[in-house]
Amino acid sequence: MTLIDALFGAFALPFMARALLVMLVLAVVAGVVGVLVNLRGLEFISDGLTHAVFPGLAIGLALGGTAGLVPGATVAALAAAVVLTWLDRAGITSDAAIAIVLTAMFSVGVIVVSRGDDYASELEALLFGRVLTIPPESVVPLILVCLVAVVAVAVTMKQQVFRAFDRSGSRAVGDSALALDLTLNAAVALVVVAAASTVGTLLVLALLIVPGAAARLMTERLWWLFPVAAGFAALMAWLGLAVGFAGSVAGGVDLPAGSTIVAVFVVGYGVVLLGRWIADRRRGSAVRAGGLETRPTPAGAPRPAETGAPRPARAGER
Amino acid sequence: MGYFERALVAAIVIGAGTGFVGALVVLRRRTFFAQALTHGTYPGAVAAAAIGVSVPLGAAAASVVLVGVMAGIARVGRQGAQVAAGIVLTGGFAAGAILQSLLPGLPVQAESLLVGSILTVNDGDILLAASVAIVSVITVAVFGKEIAFSTFDPPGFRAAGYREWPIELLVLGLTAATVVSALPAVGAILAIALIAAPAAAARLVVPTYRGILFTAPVIGAASGVIGVLASRVLAVAAGPSIALAATGFFIVALVISKLRGLAWRRVAIPVETAEDARTA
Repeated sequence: MTLIDALFGAFALPFMARALLVMLVLAVVAGVVGVLVNLRGLEFISDGLTHAVFPGLAIGLALGGTAGLVPGATVAALAAAVVLTWLDRAGITSDAAIAIVLTAMFSVGVIVVSRGDDYASELEALLFGRVLTIPPESVVPLILVCLVAVVAVAVTMKQQVFRAFDRSGSRAVGDSALALDLTLNAAVALVVVAAASTVGTLLVLALLIVPGAAARLMTERLWWLFPVAAGFAALMAWLGLAVGFAGSVAGGVDLPAGSTIVAVFVVGYGVVLLGRWIADRRRGSAVRAGGLETRPTPAGAPRPAETGAPRPARAGER
Repeated sequence: MGYFERALVAAIVIGAGTGFVGALVVLRRRTFFAQALTHGTYPGAVAAAAIGVSVPLGAAAASVVLVGVMAGIARVGRQGAQVAAGIVLTGGFAAGAILQSLLPGLPVQAESLLVGSILTVNDGDILLAASVAIVSVITVAVFGKEIAFSTFDPPGFRAAGYREWPIELLVLGLTAATVVSALPAVGAILAIALIAAPAAAARLVVPTYRGILFTAPVIGAASGVIGVLASRVLAVAAGPSIALAATGFFIVALVISKLRGLAWRRVAIPVETAEDARTA
């Protein structure tokens, strides 16, 4: 099999074309939402949401078969988004509280699955996804869920960015913090829903975190972050599917599609990281050689969510 | 000793050990880091099972690599510790799943690594968990003062002339060892429940550092026992029911601390009038 075959020819097969369509939509949406996740420092809450969707998937599957996956996951994800937003506002969110919520939800899911007949393979399909066997009738619901998420973020984009960089300023001009947080968390939840039934609950987080983090390495311009992240995600999704196909068909090794896509995402991030590191070193040595006095670059401009001085932990803190 | 009694012993030992180290993790706010560690040990465990060495050994080797990668990413500009943890976490899982499909015929089941199988622990697992717990108690007994100082007042700790990284490394090492020893009981996904929940519950009801260090292991051991018993009575998987028992303790602690915050007794509001002030 040639390279062209793997990159283009493979997608002539209907199930590969379907997988590519869903993955591209998902990647673009996850890239855009992921930039906001990165700017706000919501990685751990996103992780909580990915685990919280699991019982929804399990119950939906038990009640309605594969057609029940998306509705079940949507209900669970939106409920979890409301709970996590509330915990955050009530001030009891430490990352320990998130961890407890997410493992509790996940345990409920495992218990639901373990009551079923085909425990091991069901669990594995839910955890690691079934991107190549998406039924044709669930392509439209998945794309709809993605569209709702991206519209919700796009409508509130300016306010979200304002809140990411200046919490008190955003409140002072009258933006509702509750509405903004709820919108963003719900958008993350919807992305998780769509991604959970394709790449699986465990690997969703990669789609949300990796493109945003890679975009932060590639550009310093705020509005460029969004197209760069979406482009990176789409490219990696395409490459991941192609690698999985080539490995399984030509290489004869049985690569699981969802895990391969995520592995390609992580490798792509590694390449970007390496490139950034080399670029920084070369610029650094050029500055030293030329003796130029440049603006002192701070070692890693802090992410806006971290600029609020970290509170020291206290024993009695509630 | 039957398999059920052995499971109970393992639940007590592992619950107490994770509760103790979990207190340090929660107080130092390293929960997401510990979460990434638990997930990232998965490929190590799969690889170890494939080449036939002990699973905890493979998981430990993987966690050493992961700590290095995370420390490296966290130092790069514009990437934070959370980004590093998230990337390591998902990368670890993807690598584990790929390894698993590349190596068919593994002697262990995937889901027993993911959600644990406490009913099949052997004496080696219990011994490992017990020695990790003992080492962490000794470490905290020796360096407890430095750990407390660096946890509650990092700037003061630096100003007093201490360096931060040895303590950080010490706690990281203990966390990694504990995570690895907890894998047989609750697996890679749910290990974080035993680390975070008992300590968070203890922190809500006990006001002192030392008190939390004593209470959290008790809660952890109790969740282990309740979880194993519930799993037998209700015929559900043991790992999730241990995690849910720990969550139950956290909810009870949350309710207690909220109830304590209410005003139960009527206290007359002291009002000083001009008359009172003159006659006093």
